[in-house]
Amino acid sequence: MAKGGRTEQTATMPAFAETGVQQTAGVGTDAAAAGYTPMYGVDVAGFSPMQTAAFEGTNQMASAFGMPTSQNQGYLPPTQTIGGVTGYSSGDVYDANVDALKTRRPAQADYIESFVIDPVTGQAGSRVPDNQPVALELQGQGRRGK
Amino acid sequence: MAGSANPNMIQPTSNPYNQASMAQMGSMGRTAQGLNETAASGMANYQNPYDQSVVDRTLRDVGGAAQIGLNTLDAQAGSAGAYGGSRHGIAMSEAAKGYQQQALDKVGALRQQGFNTALGASQADLSRQMQAAGQLGNMGQRSFGYGQAIGNQQMQQGAMQQQLMQNLANAGKQQYQGYTGQPLGSLNTLLQTISAQPNMVGSSQSFHPSLFNYLQTAAMMAGGK
Repeated sequence: MAKGGRTEQTATMPAFAETGVQQTAGVGTDAAAAGYTPMYGVDVAGFSPMQTAAFEGTNQMASAFGMPTSQNQGYLPPTQTIGGVTGYSSGDVYDANVDALKTRRPAQADYIESFVIDPVTGQAGSRVPDNQPVALELQGQGRRGK
Repeated sequence: MAGSANPNMIQPTSNPYNQASMAQMGSMGRTAQGLNETAASGMANYQNPYDQSVVDRTLRDVGGAAQIGLNTLDAQAGSAGAYGGSRHGIAMSEAAKGYQQQALDKVGALRQQGFNTALGASQADLSRQMQAAGQLGNMGQRSFGYGQAIGNQQMQQGAMQQQLMQNLANAGKQQYQGYTGQPLGSLNTLLQTISAQPNMVGSSQSFHPSLFNYLQTAAMMAGGK
C-alpha cells in the first residue's frame, strides 16, 4: 500500500442480531446469579399402610416367639403429605447440610454464596457477574483515527 | 418304664432358637440312650403288677377250689365211713395232685401270657419314646425354621427401611451438590449464553487516501500527457 493513506476495517452486525445478543447476555448474567433452588416437596415416597402393617405384624410375630423386636421405635422421620403425595422431603436434609457447612467452613460457604444472590433478601453477591470489574480493552479498535 | 425324653425341659416361652437347641439335645440324648437299650428294662413295670393281680389271684382261686374239693371228698368219705382209710388217702392225694397240676398249668400259661404282654408293652413304650424323640427333633428343627423365617423377614424389612433412609440421604446430598456447585453453575450459564450467540458479525473495509496519494495520482496523470 502506498504511503500516507490508511485502511479501516469495521465489524458490522444487523441491528436485530445485536439486540438479541445484548438481551441474551443480560438474561444469562441475571440467570447465573439466581443460584441453586432447592426443592422442599416430597421426593422420597413413604411406606404404604400395608407395608407399615407388615412391619407391625413382624414385630408381633417376633414378640410371640420371644425374639427381639424393634419395639415400634421410630427409625424414619415422620412422613408429610404434600400435594397428595405422602413421603419424605430432602429439603430439611439439604438445609441441615448447608447449615453444617456454614458452621464448620463459614468462609467457603460465604465464598460459594457470593456468586449468587442472597436467597432471602435478594441482594446480589459480591461475585455475581454484574459486580465483576470489567475492562473493555477491545472497544476502541477499528475506530482509531476517527 | 424305659427312659423318657422329658418334655418339661422345653420351655414354650423361650425363643425358637432355645427351643430348637433344647429339643435337639433332648432328641439326641434319648436317641443315643436308645441305641443300646432293650425292652427288658421296662418289662418289670408291667410284669410285677400282672403277677400280683392275675397270677396270685389265680393261685388263690385254684387253691380255694382245691380246698373245697378236698373238703367235699372228706365229707363223702365220712358219710361212706371210709374217712381216714387208705382209699380216702389215695383219693385225697390224687385230688390234690390234680389241683396242683391244674394250678401249675394255669400259672405257667398266665406267666407266659404276662411275659409276652409285658414284653410287647415295653417294646411299644420304647418305640413310642424313640418316635417322640424323633418328633421332638423335628419340632426343634421347625422352631429353628420359625426363628430363621422371622429373622429373615426382619432383615428384609429392615433393609427396606434402610434403603428408604438412604434414598432420603441421597436426595439431600444431591440438593447439597446443587448448593456447592453454584459457582460452577453460574459459570456454565454464562458460557452457554456466550456459545449460543449466532455468528452474525460481518466486516467492511475502506481506504482513506492522504494528500500524498492525491499528488502522486496527479503526477501520474500529467506524465501520461
